[in-house]
Amino acid sequence: MSRNFFGLMRSSAPPATEAPDAIGSERAAPPPPPTMKQDDAASAGVHLDPNLEAVRHDFTEEVDMALKLRGVSAFYGSFQAIDRMTMPIPRNRVTALIGPSGCGKSTLLRCCNRMNDLIPGARIAGEIEFEGRNLLDPTVDAVDVRRRIGMVFQKPNPFPKSIYENVAFGARINGYSGDMDRLVEDSLRRAALWDEVKDELDKSGLALSGGQQQRLCIARAIAVQPEIILMDEPASALDPVATLKIEDLMRELAEHYTIVVVTHNMQQAGRVSDYTAFLLAGEERVGRLVEFGPTQEIFTNPLDQRTEDYITGRYG
Amino acid sequence: MSAAMPSAQLTAFAPRIRIRRGFSVGFMVVALLAITVSMLMLGALIVEIAVDGAARLFTDGSATSQEVRGGTLIDLPMPDGMIWLSWALPVAILLPFFGLRVVRSVLSDQFARSRWIERSIGVLTTLPVAIFVHILYVRFESAYYIEYAKAIGVDDASGTIFQLFGEASGFQFVRLITAGLILPLGILAAGWLWSHRLRRPSLLLPAVAVVAWVVYLFLDPLFLSSYPSRVPAQAGLFSAITGTLYMMVITAAVAFPLGVGAAIYLEEYARRNWFSRMIQVNISNLAGVPSIIYGLLGLQVFVRVLEFERSVLAGACTMALLVMPIIVVSAQEALRTVPPSMREAAYAVGATRWQVIRFHVLPYAFGGMLTGNILAMSRAIGETAPLIAIGALTFIAFLADSPTDDFTVMPIQIFNWVQKPQSGFHEIAASGIIVLMLVLLVMNATAIIMRQRTRTDW
Repeated sequence: MSRNFFGLMRSSAPPATEAPDAIGSERAAPPPPPTMKQDDAASAGVHLDPNLEAVRHDFTEEVDMALKLRGVSAFYGSFQAIDRMTMPIPRNRVTALIGPSGCGKSTLLRCCNRMNDLIPGARIAGEIEFEGRNLLDPTVDAVDVRRRIGMVFQKPNPFPKSIYENVAFGARINGYSGDMDRLVEDSLRRAALWDEVKDELDKSGLALSGGQQQRLCIARAIAVQPEIILMDEPASALDPVATLKIEDLMRELAEHYTIVVVTHNMQQAGRVSDYTAFLLAGEERVGRLVEFGPTQEIFTNPLDQRTEDYITGRYG
Repeated sequence: MSAAMPSAQLTAFAPRIRIRRGFSVGFMVVALLAITVSMLMLGALIVEIAVDGAARLFTDGSATSQEVRGGTLIDLPMPDGMIWLSWALPVAILLPFFGLRVVRSVLSDQFARSRWIERSIGVLTTLPVAIFVHILYVRFESAYYIEYAKAIGVDDASGTIFQLFGEASGFQFVRLITAGLILPLGILAAGWLWSHRLRRPSLLLPAVAVVAWVVYLFLDPLFLSSYPSRVPAQAGLFSAITGTLYMMVITAAVAFPLGVGAAIYLEEYARRNWFSRMIQVNISNLAGVPSIIYGLLGLQVFVRVLEFERSVLAGACTMALLVMPIIVVSAQEALRTVPPSMREAAYAVGATRWQVIRFHVLPYAFGGMLTGNILAMSRAIGETAPLIAIGALTFIAFLADSPTDDFTVMPIQIFNWVQKPQSGFHEIAASGIIVLMLVLLVMNATAIIMRQRTRTDW
């Protein structure tokens, strides 16, 4: 099954050398260097303050990058929420963003599929490279970005429509003309919800339990066949059993999708993620990236004292 | 075997859930009551006939029951005792029914959570009110029929209802039998539903009962189907009702799309700057402008400049301007009730702004918008001043064929009748007001019901 049946980005097709077809040559292409080099950012014309450079671990694993963030800053009006964040998002891996409240995790996540465009007064500076293009470029259609980079929210928010319609909506508005029943079934299966709802697809999505609603939202996000799924504390409103289900699901989905998850739960980050980014807000409440690296390294051998303090619970 | 055991035990101890099919108990009680009371009313009539017959028998046929009872002309046609009996019997039937339940509840130690107590209290407390209303009605109705008997010249005019049977039309007869029951039963039903905690309490049934009762009491069908006339007894509201309907349809067709469109623009598209704020303030101000001003505006713009003349179209356009602010504001409020999380959810699967509005925001807000529209229409239906300003006629003895025809509406017709010196016109003006009020009541009730039904619990 082609994951690109909706066609490429509407604004312009990415250069073939930079972004080959997502599925065909993803493994074949030589992986770019896993860590962001200073000259990478410099060549993109982004000035990086050396003082803002976060500590990074050297990866031994060879991974492709789904997103490359270079000097991403976000502002709400005159308030700066995040400051010049530079980090990669490895493809087909789970990347966790951790940090105390108000450090800009959600803001960073919402920058990645331009959901912040919807907030009046929000501005983003910097560059996020996605398939060879800067998706923050005003000429890039935000609707296409969101189609290819899906999102799951903190509070389950299914549409007040039937389960079937919830899943089918995204594909339908994007012009999917294949077998809708199969797509719905497939998406629900991948979201590990099919067995529970297969007999009542006409039931309202709001009639499901909280955990089921969140899995329905994940199915809804999968149904448009995105490359990346952003999850904003997807389990924070759920009980431990439902949380565990969502976590298992994230691990399974990572085989096909790149997942970025914001979480407050350190254990969760340790359990589900391959890579972890630790964000921290300074005195002036501006979020900055402190450390990025494989989760194993971050949790067992943090290079920055602040990371260690946070992980060991000294920040509370 | 051992595996089967626990499940068998579980089924044995599982609470039995009974699914009630068919009529609910509430429906059956109300139906039982209705049947009992109407049977007893008929029974009372039969008793009355018997009393009357006996009176004739005992007085060699020369005297009537009226003389036997020593009543005057404006006396009750039905003996008071019969009225009480017609209520006492159903109570006597129903009390043990509820009483038994109460006793059983107490005995079974479930007194505190028995819904039957709530329900029986609901019905029993409203019963005296229902009886009182019934008696009032019977007094009212009998006085009316005695007058009627005098008017049509029934010779002995003893005031008994059944003597009029020969003279009264079928409709009047049916009305006589049933009208006294509808309101009391409506009150009982309200009592029932009020105490019926299991479902969402609904005032629909009692409201329908009250409306039907008022219609039965005051309205002659001819009044609704006659054109205006110089003779009060022959004058009717037909052209005014059809004119009102015609105008309302066009008003809604003009005002709803424009108003909802403006609301969508203001809520979903417009940036929050001085311009949109100015429009917002202006809309709020327009809602408070006196309606006669809109009439003058309509006179100049629609009647003169656009040359619609004094037509339905001119009136409808003026009314559309008048109610537009109400529609815009209520539609904006309806749009604001759609939570941001729904919009985000739709955006996150790659919906464009219009798709978000078209497939999510509008469907979820549509009930609220329609409610606002109905409320706006119910304001327009009672407006008189702007239509007088644009010169709507008061005497229309034909139906409007096209939107460019002359027309009249109910409030103008009523205004016209009130102005006349003959007292007969004043009476039909009162009837016209009742009709107008009924229409308003129905429209507002529809709006409220729709608001309840379309509410989504996010």
